[in-house]
Amino acid sequence: MTATPVRGAAAPPPVPRDAVIELRAVSHWYGNVVAVNDVSFALRPGITGLLGPNGAGKSTLLHLIAGFLRPSAGTVDAFGEPTWRHPELYRRVGIVQEREAVYRSLSGREFVRLNARLHGLDDADAATTRAIARVDLAAAADRPTGTYSKGMKQRIKIAAATVHDPEVLLLDEPFSGADPRQRLQMMEMLREMGAEGRTILFSSHILEEMERLGERVLVIVTGRLAASGDFRAIRRLMTDRPHSFAIQSSNNRAFAQALLAEPAVRGVELVDGRLVVRTDDFGRFTVAAPRVARDAAITISELYPLDESLESVFEYLVAR
Amino acid sequence: MTVLIVSLTLRQLLGQRRTWLLVLLALAPVLLAVTFRFTTDGTRDAREFVADGVMRNVMVNLVLALAALIFGTAALGQEFEDGTAPYLFAKPLARWRIALAKVLAAWLGTAGVVGVSVIATGLIALAGGPMDLIIPAFVVAMALGALAYASLFVCLSVLFDRALIIGLIYVFIWEALITNLAPGAAYLSVRAYTIGIARALADTPASTFSAQLSGPASFAALALVVVLTSAYATYRLGSLELARRV
Repeated sequence: MTATPVRGAAAPPPVPRDAVIELRAVSHWYGNVVAVNDVSFALRPGITGLLGPNGAGKSTLLHLIAGFLRPSAGTVDAFGEPTWRHPELYRRVGIVQEREAVYRSLSGREFVRLNARLHGLDDADAATTRAIARVDLAAAADRPTGTYSKGMKQRIKIAAATVHDPEVLLLDEPFSGADPRQRLQMMEMLREMGAEGRTILFSSHILEEMERLGERVLVIVTGRLAASGDFRAIRRLMTDRPHSFAIQSSNNRAFAQALLAEPAVRGVELVDGRLVVRTDDFGRFTVAAPRVARDAAITISELYPLDESLESVFEYLVAR
Repeated sequence: MTVLIVSLTLRQLLGQRRTWLLVLLALAPVLLAVTFRFTTDGTRDAREFVADGVMRNVMVNLVLALAALIFGTAALGQEFEDGTAPYLFAKPLARWRIALAKVLAAWLGTAGVVGVSVIATGLIALAGGPMDLIIPAFVVAMALGALAYASLFVCLSVLFDRALIIGLIYVFIWEALITNLAPGAAYLSVRAYTIGIARALADTPASTFSAQLSGPASFAALALVVVLTSAYATYRLGSLELARRV
């Protein structure tokens, strides 16, 4: 699969035949604030990452898919039926909220069993034991959840959300608060669940989490779907974009002149006493800059990227 | 399933610190009864003291209303506040079942706290004299009043984030103030229904305590409140955008 930058007016991407979740021209607004703007995509079994900066609309999208919000426009379907006002769908869907909320007075086992019983499972105890074992929390299962660490709460929430063996699992920032070992463990668990043929959608604003887990990625920026497709292709789009660097050197004018001769450099400006260099090739520039400085006998005292925030990366994808 | 949600909710309600403050408040009428027993010189009618002074003015006007307000608004409201509501709502459960369970839990919590206090207060203050059905009359009336309050406050918690404040305004402005200034307002007062039912059931002289509404009118209005607020809460839960509340 390749990465597809999505333009606002473009036709929605074709729906895969095995699509489990489908959003068509979905928008959602809170008063005058547009949280999700004309988003269309389809999800099929496997793991899909929902990537975007904070406030991009990831949680709103997940809530729309979970049936926790009514689409202001468009349709959100799971298994061919609208998710809004359709509680029966929760037999096939599990949801892990971002909030740390659990019933604090219940033990982990009681909490998961409660969820099993609310699902009306025939053998709630067996399902509880399986779900707790899956998240590797058996040793702490009889402690009140109020005493759990953030990472443990995440895991018990995942156990509760998967106790009924759902075909679809929606997770909002599932790795926040987990330590690196727990993170890897959870990723492995989700990978296994994805390999079992479940449809898993998780949100994150951390590229590395996508890199490790997201087979397919949806990039959301300011409520719009900025790109979708294979993570590696999207990653390439992100690193191949133009970059800007600020440089302070012993002779800015001479350094500017020397840099302009480099093929990796697209432009140089002198702004507020420092050089601002634009390049299309991040890798080649970072190799060339010290070499050029050395050849011209110039000392670099500062060199830093100006637009490395995730937001600027996403903005670039939207502008493409 | 309903029983499961009721027991979960009761467990949450009883685990709150404010529940224990309510229990302390419910002990106040009992202390009043004890004080009365040990200090009375026999000039004041015990029935009037219990029915009008304690049951009507303290139990119904304060303890019942506050207990129902706290349990009623917290039964569901606390789930929104704590972010635990999705564990109920992301289940294949009919919304009426959730609404019913929350009303039942709020009702049982309120009736439990108030009921024990009513019986203890009555038995202590009226012991050895005529009881005139005062205790059973107030137990039944407060149980019904608790149900009406519970359904009303659960409904408020479905509609508003600040249900507790709106409930306080209802109890202390509408019921305590407006119904006294404009007697017709009593038709929209759970407190007036409760006292009306107690008055109709108690076999005590009219001079011991009075009610603004008749027994049948109180009962009919109370039943209407329970049905309408429960039905409306269920209807609104059906179209509740959960993500806006948690």
